Formats: sequence, structure tokens, C-alpha cells
Amino acid sequence: MRCGVFLCECGGNISGVLDLDLLGDSARGHDGVVSVSRNQFMCGTEGRRMIEQAVEDRGLDRIVIGACSRRFQGPTFERISRELGLGENAVAFANLREGCSFVHRNEPAKAQKKAEKIVSAAVARARFQSDLPRGRTFLHRSALVVGGGIAGITAAEELAGAGIDVYLVEREQSLGGYMARLSKTFPTEDCAMCSLAPQLTGAALEPRVHIHTLTDVTEISGPPGEFRVKLRQRPRFVSEACVGCDDCTPACPVSVSSEFDLGVAKRKAISRPFANAVPSLYAIDKRGSAPCKTACPANTSAQGYLALVAERRFDEAYRVASEPNPFPSVCGRICTHPCESACARAEVDQAVAIAALKRFVADRVGPEIVSERAPIIHSEKVAVVGAGPAGLTCARDLAKLGYKTTVFEALPVAGGMLKAGIPDYRLPKDVLGREIDQVTALGVELRLGKRAGSDFTIDGLLEDGYNAAFLAVGLQKSSEVEIPGAELEGTERAVEFLRRMNLGEPVSVGDRVVVIGGGDVALDAARSAIRLQKLSGRESKVTLAYRRTREEMPALDEEIEQAVDEGLEIEFLVAPLEIVGKNGRVSALKLQRCELGEPDASGRRRPVPIKGKTTEIEADTVVFAIGQDMVCDFLEGCEGVSVEKGQIRIDRETLMTDRAGVFAGGDAAATGGWTAIEAIAAGARAARSIHNHLRGETLLQVWEPEATEARPTAEEFSRRDVGRRIPITVLDKVERRGSWDEVVGGYSEEDAVAEASRCLACAVCSECEACVEACPAGAIELDQQEEFEELAVGAIVVTTGHKEFDAKRKTPLGFGRFSNVVTQSQVARLLSPSGPTAGELERPSDGAVPKKIFMLQCVGSRDCTASGNEHCSAICCLFSTLHASLIKQHYPDADVTIGYTDLRAPGKAHEEYYRLVQERGVRYVRSRVGEVMEEPDKSLRVRFEDTVTGRKNEELFDLVVLAAGLEASNGTTEIAHVAGLQQGAAGFIKEYHPKLKPVDTQRAGIFVAGTAQGPKNIPDTIAQAKAAAARVVSMLSAGFVLTPAQIASSDLEQCIGCGICESVCPQGAVKLSTGESPHSVVDANSCRGCGICVAECPSGAMSLGGFSDEEILAEVMV
Amino acid sequence: MTSAAAENTQVAETEDGVERKIVAFFCRECAYAAADATGNARVSLPTTIRSVLVPCTGRVSPLHLLSALADGADGAYVAGCLEGQCHYREGNLHALDRIEFAQALLESVGVEPERVQMFTMSAADAPRFVAAARKMDETISNLPPLKRN
Repeated sequence: MRCGVFLCECGGNISGVLDLDLLGDSARGHDGVVSVSRNQFMCGTEGRRMIEQAVEDRGLDRIVIGACSRRFQGPTFERISRELGLGENAVAFANLREGCSFVHRNEPAKAQKKAEKIVSAAVARARFQSDLPRGRTFLHRSALVVGGGIAGITAAEELAGAGIDVYLVEREQSLGGYMARLSKTFPTEDCAMCSLAPQLTGAALEPRVHIHTLTDVTEISGPPGEFRVKLRQRPRFVSEACVGCDDCTPACPVSVSSEFDLGVAKRKAISRPFANAVPSLYAIDKRGSAPCKTACPANTSAQGYLALVAERRFDEAYRVASEPNPFPSVCGRICTHPCESACARAEVDQAVAIAALKRFVADRVGPEIVSERAPIIHSEKVAVVGAGPAGLTCARDLAKLGYKTTVFEALPVAGGMLKAGIPDYRLPKDVLGREIDQVTALGVELRLGKRAGSDFTIDGLLEDGYNAAFLAVGLQKSSEVEIPGAELEGTERAVEFLRRMNLGEPVSVGDRVVVIGGGDVALDAARSAIRLQKLSGRESKVTLAYRRTREEMPALDEEIEQAVDEGLEIEFLVAPLEIVGKNGRVSALKLQRCELGEPDASGRRRPVPIKGKTTEIEADTVVFAIGQDMVCDFLEGCEGVSVEKGQIRIDRETLMTDRAGVFAGGDAAATGGWTAIEAIAAGARAARSIHNHLRGETLLQVWEPEATEARPTAEEFSRRDVGRRIPITVLDKVERRGSWDEVVGGYSEEDAVAEASRCLACAVCSECEACVEACPAGAIELDQQEEFEELAVGAIVVTTGHKEFDAKRKTPLGFGRFSNVVTQSQVARLLSPSGPTAGELERPSDGAVPKKIFMLQCVGSRDCTASGNEHCSAICCLFSTLHASLIKQHYPDADVTIGYTDLRAPGKAHEEYYRLVQERGVRYVRSRVGEVMEEPDKSLRVRFEDTVTGRKNEELFDLVVLAAGLEASNGTTEIAHVAGLQQGAAGFIKEYHPKLKPVDTQRAGIFVAGTAQGPKNIPDTIAQAKAAAARVVSMLSAGFVLTPAQIASSDLEQCIGCGICESVCPQGAVKLSTGESPHSVVDANSCRGCGICVAECPSGAMSLGGFSDEEILAEVMV
Repeated sequence: MTSAAAENTQVAETEDGVERKIVAFFCRECAYAAADATGNARVSLPTTIRSVLVPCTGRVSPLHLLSALADGADGAYVAGCLEGQCHYREGNLHALDRIEFAQALLESVGVEPERVQMFTMSAADAPRFVAAARKMDETISNLPPLKRN
């Protein structure tokens, strides 16, 4: 090795701390060092000449640079070395500035010693540095611009002008970025949209600019020149057919805070941010399905009818509630409402009373609905066996699809368990009857009193010309009771007991009733027994005996509460052992005491008998409610229909039995729980499946596709005031014991509207489809899916912009707590002629025009506390000055005060503008604000110190406007992660060099412009965008790019083909070759040179250019 | 106190004032950038730290850490990007695995495992960089010089 050591004084930065002559002497002593020199600025022309000279004179083959950090001037020296023919890896670096003189200024002696070590390490390292081969990469003549604000639009336009194809990607639904929100711009006070709109239109019309909105960049791989970019386009749910007529927004019932208006206005779930949006299409904000919808077995859009109820659009709400379910009035009363268990509002206070609202809307609208006979359009006939919720839902949906449908029912009445199981005090019979009538009105034929097995058979139906049959026979008998005394007089089985009672047959109970069980049927039996006792003039004495504890009881909570209110006693942790009889009648019940053991298959803890602990309670009536079974004798001899574990065997996907054309569902063939809503859902699925079967093709999806569950954002949660559920009236708990009247009342209209307004609109779009009906162009496409696209581009420009500092972080200023504390960006929306107030400055609390306004500067900027940012946000002084000026011109009486830290107005015509606005009467006070407090009338008391006079002041204002600073936008942070770019303070993307390469990033081929790089005004943003475009043009005009030198390579001799390198490579750049003796192969274009594979390689075959083990260890060991 | 530890304590007493050596591997993307920011701010750092630039902390293998200790360093640490923000996705997680491996190895041969450590920071976070350097310096200075056979 012939090594030259070049020591840089850095104009005293290094030589002021280190003695470079001494350092040179020590360097001369190292083996291989043949020349040592020093210069004031080694990176300058003179330094370069010095290096050239030494290489020539001394025949150097290695260069050691003792100067600043390699991250600053490294490329300069590598370039010199390359141009001198040594290759760029002939340079080793001794970091004498950032690594030594800057950080050890106070300890020069120690610093000198350390510098000697640093130089000696660099010399040691240089010995192992060898030339690195570099290939050439092809260049795509296209560019990706990420972010469609003014910077992105400008860069795209410049690039297109140079003949380069541009993919302009924007995550929002329209181009325009922050500038589109502004009212006017300083210092000229010209309208922001007037400058922006022609640019937007220009981008839309430029054939070389390909606009992708609602799109995220998910991956960037490959080398500069040949970047591969993956895009994910979120669905707009509105097609190109949209004509922008705005008929959809009045129809949409869902209003949420408008992001575009920064929360000072609301928008609908379908919206367009501003009139000049590009593209001009509306978009639907649909974030999956609301938890209430995904929780509902019938997939009912509860959010949809809640939104419509809140808008008093009851007819439409009824349509949404009844479309998947013919029994909304019934379900509004007796449904187990999994929707409410899933409701996100429970995280704020209490779940929305979804079932009660369904009842409200169904009771109000349902009676007015007159169903018309559905036309029969298919020749096939369908038989439904069982007129319960599953059977009737299936029949209704088949009738609507155009099939002649006949329902066979064993009982003399229709309704199944809804009729024969549930007592009147929970579900009045006329409510059920009305909804059944609506099913029959469609043309569904009911044949009552026809029992399968005795009156007809399934085979018989199919022979009689029915083309398909749906078996929805339910579970019609109570499970067998196997304890001694079960046959004594005075024992009852709950299902049969309730059926007799509900069909009007005589039933009676004794004076002491014990009901065994813990489900809804047990409670129905117990509460009915209380009423039977009371109505026959006796005291009620009913006890429920349950094996587990209250926590494990499957019955609905409200049912249990109401039952206890009615005087029901509950014995927990007891299991029946024996019914004690006297003269053939029940006289007592012997119970085994239990405790809870391990959880069983259902997840509930299993009751375990406590040995020897029994108890006996007096009883003359014992009702068993311990489960139900199917009466399945009618299936005897029916080929292809079998019963397994008490359920009819079906294919879960199609609900069809093993016999073609015969389907089953509901409690007799459940795919979920044994509840009414599951049965209704099964009936609807069966109808779709039968339709598919009869038509011979899959026309309808039997099961709803799985939707992602939407959750309100944390911000949405935080915005909500706690407001508990509006209570429902319940009959007096003493009086109702002697009555079959309905216990639970319904909401009034006012209460219903208020309760429905508690909905958080989790999914934003509620899938109510009101827009589908309203759109004259047929442009709504609610089933649009995400789309993925891959691009190949030569270069990338990042223009992802900024966001406003979250002023809530400065708690004493009251933003987010006091309605009349707003930000300058919000004021920009209020002052915008096309904004929500048409340019009138209306204060949020009451819409009044504020007379006295205080504008506070530097909110979150120039702030070294943990909640703020250190930097100056650069634009706020003039942003506030602009708004103050606009307000003074529009409302000459307004008193506007700007409280500033230091007034900064550099830039062309800015100081002049500041002076002009002062002359317009705006008061500037150099001040520091302590606190903003709200008065009872919502005006604001500002406590501040005048920092010129030192006086402490307190003044009242109508409106306080915070000049919240700038931070990197979320999109900037995301693209930094995707593209592997460095972020500096407040998240702004780090440029390659703060002065010399202000629009280059650390990653070659990726450039940055606008506020993604740092706070700046619009002219500076545009200048940077044009600079970035110029950088792209110069790069793409070169024709090729060199592949990076620092990439991994594999030594085939040593490679054992284990494949670990492939498994750890984050870029997918290392692959194992196929064939008999596989070995690793590195794709030079994809490798980014991290070296993870090298450290992981067990055989030492992998190496990294410029960072081999020898190079690293040489440095380590000195 | 084991006899070996007692001996070490004695060595520390007799060799009091001897400066330790700590080898520090900084990733190019975050830690080295934070080091440069520290330098530019003229913040004082312990002179014990010898920085070695690596492209990513995922490049650092146990070999490098153990070689540093074997060849005269009293401690070694790796500083990289914050968790989840590695510019090569998982390099810092690999590095952490290897640090833990090296620590276990050291412990098994009776060397204090805290002689090798891992720190993370963003490129902009000079204060966190300084804190890491100072913490490492304090840890190693409080330990006796590493005794080698």
C-alpha cells in the first residue's frame, strides 16, 4: 500500500483544537503511509490539487482524508479518487471534526490522542479497501411525484413540459393540498384559488401527467433510474360517470367533521372538498362496515337507519331496517342485539339503543306499509316447512325474487317460537301479526295446521311439483329430563308450557314455582308464572334455579333485571338432583350445591358438584327450561336428509342438505346461535341459495362478504361529549306482575332522534344507499374494491407537504376546549368566499361576527418545551398579518391585535406589507401569553405580558386565533418510511446538503420539494418544486446511472446454500439459485447495501462492498 | 464477591485514571447523522468513544463486538434507528438479537454483559445520542478495565 494522509484544517474548526503537524508526524509513522499533507480546506480547489499532486508524485494507491464527517464531504473525495483513477473505495475517512474537534474542544490533549487513533484506524482500514465494480443502470424516462399540492402540481407540470411522463399520486380525493384551503395569499392579497385553479386544470388536461388520487405509495424498490413503485388506490365508490350535480349530498344522512374545512364545518359521507376539485368526481368515505353491521347475523346496517332516524327520515330508515329482516318491530323488542354489544359508543359512555330505535322506526312506519303482491316471474315452486322467523324470511325473500312459495306450519298459527314461545308482555301478538301479514301480502301462501310427517312428507312435496324445500322446523320440544321424579304431576317442560299458554290453552301453576335453567326461555317461563299466580289472585312465589352464577347466565341482562324487579328469586350454583313427590304430586326439589370449575367448550366455567352439599326447596310446580330438541320423526325415510347431533346436516356454504333441492336452516340447522336474528339471517341466506340452485348459477352471494370492521378515529372519540343513553319507559314493577301488557315502552320521536344522534358513524358511510337512489347518473358503486398498480419510474419527487401543529398540545391556550379558540388555517376557511360561511367570519359558538380578535403567534413554533417545536414556522407572521388585514378591510370596526414574539417578515415585499397592515389599524403587541380563559358568554379572557413594557395585561376578546406552526404531514412521515428517507426535527425530510443540495435526499434519485422539506411560503415552494424538476431532468438526461458500489456479493466457493441471506434480506435482493447445488445470488439493482445478510451468513460467503469484515475490524482493533 | 471480581477491583484502584476505550458502531442513517448533529452543536462527548460507521446496525455481527473487546476495548455499543424506523426495515432488530447473543456469551465466560449494549435514536435526536454515549461511558468507566488472558 502507498497511502497519502490529507489533513484538513477546516478553516480552524479542526486545527483550532488539534495540532495537525503533530498529528501528521504520528501518521507518518504508520506502515504504508508515504505522504502527509495539510490544507486550510481540503475539500476546496487547492486541496484537490494537493491530492492530485501527491497521487502523481508519490504514486499513491490509497487516500486517507482527515476532515469532517464522511456524511458531508465523503462524496467529494470519492469523486476525486474516482477521477484520479483510484476508484472511489480507495478513500478512507478519519472524522476529525464532528467526531473529535467539535465534541472534545474542552479537552485538547485527549482530543489529540484520540485523533491519532482515528487517523491510524483509517490508515489500517485503507489497506483492506479494494476497488468496487459498478454496473450501469438503465433509466426510465418517467417520474413519480408523491403529493398533489402546489409543489407536486408544479413539479409535474415542469416534468411534463420536458417530455417526461409523470405519475402524480395524491392520498386525498382531490389535488390541491393546503393551498386549496387558503382564502387569499400574502403579500398581494390575491385569491389563492384564482392562482391554484388554472394549475389544477392544467394538470388534469396535460396528457403526460397521470393523476392517481386516493392513492398511497406502499413500496419503492430498485435502483435510481429503475425504481419500482407499488401503489394502492382506495376505492372512491363513485365512478367516472359522476357529473358533479351534488344531488347525492342532500340525500346522504351521515354528517361528519370536514377535514378539508379543518373542522369548522361538516361534510357528508359522500362529498367533494371544493368546487374546483381535480378530479371533479365525488367520493364516498366508506371505512369498511360499522361494528353494529358486522355483528348482526343478518348484516343489518344499523348505522344506516340510525343516521336516517337522526334526520327524521323515518320511511327510509324503515326501508334500511326491513330490507334484510321482515320482522323489525319484533326484533326491536326481543332481539339479543349483538349490534349493541359491538357498538363503539360504549367506549365513550354507553352503547346506542339500537334495538329500541329499530322498534321506534318499525312501529312508526311499519303499520303504514301496504305490501303489494310480488309478481311471480319463475315457474318453479318452493315449499317452506315451518312458519317461524327462518321460514317466513325465506318465503318473503323468495316471493320478492319472483317464486311461488308455500309455507307449511304444524300449529294453527304462524310465527313459530315468536308466537308460541315468547309471552305477550315481551312481544304483543298484534305486532307479530302485522309483520306476518306483510309477508303473506306479497303472495306467500300459508298452510296452517299441516304437520310434516303426518299431513305430508318431504318426498311428497317434491313429487307434488315443488322444486325446492326449505326445512325450518325449529326445536319444538324440551330436552329430556333425567332425574327421579321428573314425571310427577306438577312438573312442566318450558317449551310446551309456554306454547300452551301462548296459544290460549288453559295453563296453571302452583303456589311455589321453581324454574330450572338460566336462558331466555327459563325467564319467559318464570315471569309468566309470576303473572299467572298474580292473575289468579295469589302472591307470586317463583324461584329460578341455575347451575352457574349470574355472570354465566345466557339470558339478556335487561331480562334478568326486569325479572328480579318483578320479584323473581334466583338460586345460583344449584343443580336439580331429585323431585320429591307426595301422593304423586311435586312437593319439593332436591338440589345439589355446585362451585365453578374450569371453563368448558363454550368458555363458561363448568359447574362442579360440591360433595355432600345438597339442599331442598319447597315446590309444587317445577318447570324445566334446560334446552330444546328437534322433533325429527318427519325425516324418517327421507333420503339424503340426515340429523347429526340434533341438527339437520347441511353444507354450511349453501345451507343445502345432502339431497339436492332440500335446504335447512334456523334452529333446526343453525350456523350460529339459536336466536331469532340468526334464524332470520338463515332464512335470507336460504332464499338466495335456493334461487342460485333453481337458476343453476351463482347469482346471489349466500353469505355476505367479510368486511373490514370500521372504528371511529381517536379524534372522533375525543370530540364526543359524554351523554348517556336516553332511558326507555318501563311499566311499574309491581303493577306489571299482574298484567300481560308490554313491559318495555318505546321512544318518543324526540327521544328517538336524540338517541340516534349519539351514533358515532363508525364507518362514516352507513351503506344506507340513499345516494344510490338519488344519483341521476348511476355513478354510485358501493362494491368497488382497492386496486393495486405497479409502476417503473426513473426518479421520484416527494412533495407531501405539512400539517398544522396540533394546538391542543398547548393546553393553556384552550384550543379544543373553548369553541372560540381557532387556528389561522380555520380562519382561512372562514374567510374563504367558497368556504362554509361564504367568507363571513362567524365565531363558532354563536355565529356572530367577532368585534375584538386576538391573534397569537408562535403556537408550537420557536418553542423548546416538550409539547412544541424548536423551529420557526416561517409563514405565520405574514399569514396572521394577511388575515388581520382581510378582517380589517371586511369589518372596519373590528379590533384586531396580533400578539407576536418577534415579527419576522423577510422576503420580497413582505416588510412593506407588514407596514401597510399596521397602517390599516391592526395592533401589534410584542407579548407572551400565559393563559386563555373562557367566560360564561363564551368570550375569552387572555392573560398576557407585554414584553416591551414588561406590563402584565388581561383583556377580553370575542375570538382568539392561534398561529399554529407547521409540522411534517402524516403523508410525509409515511413516504419517508416507504422510501427510506431521513426525517429531521418535526419530521421534515432531510435534504442531502442544506445549502448545496437542498432538493436532493439521502437516497439517489429521490428529490424533495415544498413544505415536506421544511416550512416555507408558496413562492419558495414553487421555486423548490421547479428545482426538483430540474434535478430530475438532469438525472434522466444523463442516459444511465451507475449501480451503487456498496452492495452485497456472494463468494460461490464458500456459499453453502443455506438460504439464510434470502430469508433476512429486507429488499428481496438476495435469492437462492435453483438447481442441484443452490447458492446465493445478489441482484445489484435491488440491493441497498444494509449488510444484514453479511452479518447473518454462517459460512462467511457474503460480503459488503466498502464494509467487509476486514475493513470494519481494521478500524475496530486500533 | 468472587476472587476474580475482587482482583478486578484492585486493578481499577491501581490503574485509576486510565481512560477506557469504547467502540461504537453507528448506523449511517440515524445514529451517525445524530452524531454529526451533536458535533455541529458543539456538544461535549466523552473522549472514550471511537465511532465506526456502518451502513445499518444489521451489518454488525457478534464477531465485531467480541473482536473489539478482545483487542483492547472495554466496551462496545451499537446505535441505530428507532424501533420500527430502521431504513432497512429490520436491521436494528437483528442487531438487538446479536447484542443479546453477545451479552449471553460474555456472561458465560464471566465478563459483565453490560459491556456491550444497544441504543436507538432518530437522525434528528442529538440529545438522545449524547445521552447514550454518556450512559455507555459511565457504565464502562464504573467497570474495571477489561482483563484479557
